Amino acid sequence: MIEAHNLSFTYAGSKRPAILDVNLGVDKGEFVVLTGPSGCGKTTFARCLNGLIPNFYQGELSGSITIMGTDISGHTTSELSRKVGFVFQNPENQLFSLSIERDVAFGPENLGLPKEETRRRVDWAMEITGISELREAAPYELSGGQQQRAAIAAVLAMKPEIMVLDEPTSFLDPLSASQILEAVADLREEANMTIVLIEHRLDLASKYASRIVVMDQGRVVLDGPPAKVYGEEAKLIGVGIPKISMLFNLLRQDGFDMGETPVSVEEATERLRSYLKDDRG
Amino acid sequence: MSLNMFEGFKFKRKDTLLHRMDPRPKFLIALTIFLLSLIYVNVLVLLILLTVQVPLVYASKSMRRWFGSMRGGTILAAMIFFMNFLTGSTLVFSATMTLRFLVLVSAFSIFFMTTSPDDLGLALERIGLPYTLSFTFTTSVRLVPTIAIEAQTIVDAQRSRGLELDRGSVIERVRKYIPILIPLIVSAIRRSTELAEALESRGFGAVKHREPLATLRMKRSDWAAAITTTLVLVAGVYVQNTMPIPSFDTGIRIPLPWGP
Ligand SMILES: Nc1ncnc2c1ncn2[C@@H]1O[C@H](COP(=O)(O)OP(=O)(O)OP(=O)(O)O)[C@@H](O)[C@H]1O
Ligand SMILES: [Mg+2]
Repeated sequence: MIEAHNLSFTYAGSKRPAILDVNLGVDKGEFVVLTGPSGCGKTTFARCLNGLIPNFYQGELSGSITIMGTDISGHTTSELSRKVGFVFQNPENQLFSLSIERDVAFGPENLGLPKEETRRRVDWAMEITGISELREAAPYELSGGQQQRAAIAAVLAMKPEIMVLDEPTSFLDPLSASQILEAVADLREEANMTIVLIEHRLDLASKYASRIVVMDQGRVVLDGPPAKVYGEEAKLIGVGIPKISMLFNLLRQDGFDMGETPVSVEEATERLRSYLKDDRG
Repeated sequence: MSLNMFEGFKFKRKDTLLHRMDPRPKFLIALTIFLLSLIYVNVLVLLILLTVQVPLVYASKSMRRWFGSMRGGTILAAMIFFMNFLTGSTLVFSATMTLRFLVLVSAFSIFFMTTSPDDLGLALERIGLPYTLSFTFTTSVRLVPTIAIEAQTIVDAQRSRGLELDRGSVIERVRKYIPILIPLIVSAIRRSTELAEALESRGFGAVKHREPLATLRMKRSDWAAAITTTLVLVAGVYVQNTMPIPSFDTGIRIPLPWGP
C-alpha cells in the first residue's frame, strides 16, 4: 500500500534533516500509529505521503515513496488526494464552507464527480462519522470534536484508500478524543481503509492499532505490534506509552512475568486474572 | 472603530424572506439603493432611501446588528459631514453627503447580513467569475470575523501585559500598535498556509470542471423582486432627469474668508 524507501528530507534553510533514511512499508488494512517525541519528524513524514513535500515545502528530498504501486514523485497533492486522504490537527483551518454538508461535498466536487455521486458520497460519509444531523450547521457552531468529525467526513467522501491523520485529537478533550479515535477505527472496518495515525495519546489509541511505529530524531527506532513495542522500555524515552503497559513492564522487572505487555485496561485485567488463577491453582 | 461594526456585515443564518432570497436580486436591491443615492443630491430623497431600509432590516430580524454597523459608521459619517461643512459647503449639502454614506453602509450591511458567503460564491460563479477567484473572495469574507476575533484576543493579551493603547502622542500610539500587528500577521500567515495545505489535500483544482452539489435557482419571488427593483431604478432615473425636485437647501454655511 505504502512503501517508503530511504526517505530523507531537509527543510530549506535548516541544517539538520527532519527525517533520515526512513524505510516503512504499510500493508492494506493496517492501522499504524506513528508516535515519538515532539520534533522527531512525524508530520514531515506524513507530508511526504500526500505530496505536500516537495510540492508545498521547499527542501532537499531523497529516497522514494510508492503508493499502491506507483511512484508518487512528480505528482501534485491534489492528484494524490484521490488515494491519500489527509486530516490535519486544527479542524478550524480545514473547513471552508458555512455548512457542513457543503464542506463534505467540496472534495468530491473538486474531483469532478457528477452531482448524484457527490450526493451519495456525502450522505455516506456523514453517516459513518455520525454527523448526519449537522448538515446545515456552520463549522463555528460545532464543538471541536464535531468539527474534527466533519473534517474526517470531508476526506472520507473522496474515498481515498489511505487515510493519514496528523494528531487529529490534540485540540480535543479526552472524551471527544476517544470518540474520534473510535470513529477512525470504524473507518478501517467499514470502509476497509488503511490508516496512518500520528498520535501522542497512546493511552487512547493503542487498542485500535495493529502496529506502532516510533520515531526519534528523524529515524524510525521501533516498529511492531503494540505489545512488542511497549515491552522495549529502553528505547521509549520521551514516548508516553500507556500507563497500564508501563505497570506491567515494571512488574516484570520485579519478577512478575505475565507474558506479553498489555495495551489496554481490558487486556491487562484479563492477563492479571489468569495469572492470579494460575498462582492459586 | 470597534469590532461590533463587523458584526453588522457578518452573515447569520436565519429563516426570513431576505435570507431565502437569491443573492442576485438581493444584490440588485442593494445596488439600486446605492445608485439612487448617487444620482439624487437631495436630502429628502436620501432620507427616504434610508428609511425604506428599516422595514427590510426588521423583516430580516437583524435590527440590533444593523444598529451596530450604523453606529460604527457614525464616526466616518461625522468626518464626512465636517469635512464638507468646514470647507464651505451648505449645511444641507453636508448632511446630504453624510446621508449618502449611511445609505451605502446600510444597504450593504443588509446584503451581507442576509447572504451566506457560500451562496455569494455560487452567484459569482454564475455571473462568470472563475471558480478560484470566487472561492478566494468568499473565503476572505468568511475569514474577516475570525481575524477580527483574533485581533481582539491579541489586544486583550497585550493590554494585560501593560500595553496602553490610548495614551501618548499620535506617533507613540501608532508605535503601540506594532505589538498587535506582528502577532496578527504571523497568525494570518500561519492560518493561510494551513488553509492552502488543506485545500490541496482536498483535491482543489484537480479537474477543470467541477459540478457543485448546491446550486442557485431563481424562484418566482426572486424574479418578482428583480423586476420590481429594476422598475424602481428606471423610474428613479427617469424622475431625476425630467422632474424638478425641491432641494430644501437653506443656504446656511460657514462664512469663509475667501467666500463660498
Ligand atoms: N516548515 C518547516 N520549515 C523548517 N523546518 C521545519 C518545518 N516544519 C518542521 N520543521 C523542523 O523539522 C523537524 C521535524 O518536525 P515535525 O513537524 O515533522 O515534527 P513532529 O514529529 O511532527 O513534531 P510534533 O509532535 O511537535 O508535531 C523539527 O526540527 C522542526 O523544527
Ligand atoms: Mg507534528
